[in-house]
Amino acid sequence: MNIVKILFYIMACVAIGSALYTAYTKNLVRSVFMFFVTLFALAGLYVIALADFVAVTQVVIYVGGILVLILFAFMLSGKQSLDAATRQKSKIINLGNLPALLLAGLFFIVMFNALNNNVEPAWVKAAVQSGKVIKPGTVLIGNIGVNLMTKYLLPFEAISVLLMIALVGSAHLSRKEQEA
Amino acid sequence: MDFYITYFFIAIGLFGFAAVFALFGVYAERKISAFIQDRLGPTETGKFGSLQTIADILKMIQKEVIVPAAADKWLFLLAPVIIFVAVYMGFAAMPWGPGLVPSKINIGLFYVFAIISVETLGILMAGWGSNNKYSLLGAMRSAAQIISYEIPAGFAIISAVMIAQSLDLQAIANQQGVLSTERILALGFWDTTQVGGIFSWNIIRAPHLIVAFVIYFIASLAESNRAPFDIPEAESELVSGFHTEYTGLSFAFVFLAEYAMMFLVSMIGVILFLGAWNTPLPNIGGAKLATLTTGIGWGIFWITIKTLLLVGVQMWIRWTIPRFRVDQLMTLAWKVLTPLGFICMLISGVWRLWLM
Repeated sequence: MNIVKILFYIMACVAIGSALYTAYTKNLVRSVFMFFVTLFALAGLYVIALADFVAVTQVVIYVGGILVLILFAFMLSGKQSLDAATRQKSKIINLGNLPALLLAGLFFIVMFNALNNNVEPAWVKAAVQSGKVIKPGTVLIGNIGVNLMTKYLLPFEAISVLLMIALVGSAHLSRKEQEA
Repeated sequence: MDFYITYFFIAIGLFGFAAVFALFGVYAERKISAFIQDRLGPTETGKFGSLQTIADILKMIQKEVIVPAAADKWLFLLAPVIIFVAVYMGFAAMPWGPGLVPSKINIGLFYVFAIISVETLGILMAGWGSNNKYSLLGAMRSAAQIISYEIPAGFAIISAVMIAQSLDLQAIANQQGVLSTERILALGFWDTTQVGGIFSWNIIRAPHLIVAFVIYFIASLAESNRAPFDIPEAESELVSGFHTEYTGLSFAFVFLAEYAMMFLVSMIGVILFLGAWNTPLPNIGGAKLATLTTGIGWGIFWITIKTLLLVGVQMWIRWTIPRFRVDQLMTLAWKVLTPLGFICMLISGVWRLWLM
């Protein structure tokens, strides 16, 4: 058992435990803060998978951006609406939970298959055999930048247009009504 | 195993440094404010009051940590720790001299930028956990301010990164002195690879970075919640903002984080724009001043001096400029600094393509 493996198991346990707490707790604000722990543990797992850029991006976008915005929404909403959410009865078997259950079931099938058959995709085997693997210390940012500007330029631009539309929409919604 | 012991020593050393810096930072702040306001400041404890902050911290450690009855106990107690740890982790990627960096990561700058943003979460946690309207208002103001000012700061950083072509802080530092392996053109035409000194700093290599540096500096003041951007803890309106309810050791942690943050953001500014650990003295003909004053010891000396100078300017600004109103703060960030940052980024691209 080397130190990387120990770290992996610690972070995996933290991620799963905090995710369970996030899903189960009645205290909404605490669940947001526990979600922060989940995201951080996930970032650690990305680092172990040598995807350090993804890890740091996850911290910037989710922790620095999305979580803070969620908290903003909480702080702007009144105590009554937060209490109402706390009193809600939650049953696991519920029509509203159908999409979540379906998704969880599908993921479970995928995971079960992958573990059961111990399948490595063909391209993984090919890459390992030809030695095209990432080693610790490889600088990958240049690669990411070049790929974003060449191979994946269309999705990149499409996402930026989508964000632009969202910005214009929110600016329109928050504008004061003009008196005619 | 020796390897891991070294890690622990470095981590403890950085913590000790942050603590000592905070102690003397508070002392310096009080003396500077006293000088600016024509007072004497602390004089009683020790020679010229130099032991005042040590006496203060001793008092603080002995104080009871009071948790308000209505507060969310866990969030309330954890918040100062998260605020401090976020800043402290940033120090992991800071280069102190040639070949001297706690953690050499190739996306160091991005990492620091990310880890600093965790501080916002800690502040919101403190504000919510205190269950006090002043704390909550302060925390919300702080988050709004930090999120807004991250954008101009980001553009200023990107315009420096475009010139340096690296996110590794040590690589950025290396480029700005006589140890550089690539050709340095001061002002875009004068080859100063062998001259070094101040002429190979980023702000001289590409003079528009002076504007970017000013943008970054203003934004960094806002991110560390210092006056003139201290509306999150505006004592005349909000008691003291998000840390109103804190006492004793928790309060000491919030303060420690603030001073560590001042040092950290100044250090990033120095690394990106002011030549990092490189000497300001150039080689003049036979007098090899730059080669002579480059090395590990000199590196630590120069970067500490430069960073402390910037921290001094931060304190000077705090005690001379009045606080901004919220709308003025947002106007400055979105209508002045962000467009200027965009222009800097554009010039950086053109500069890199045509002049370097």
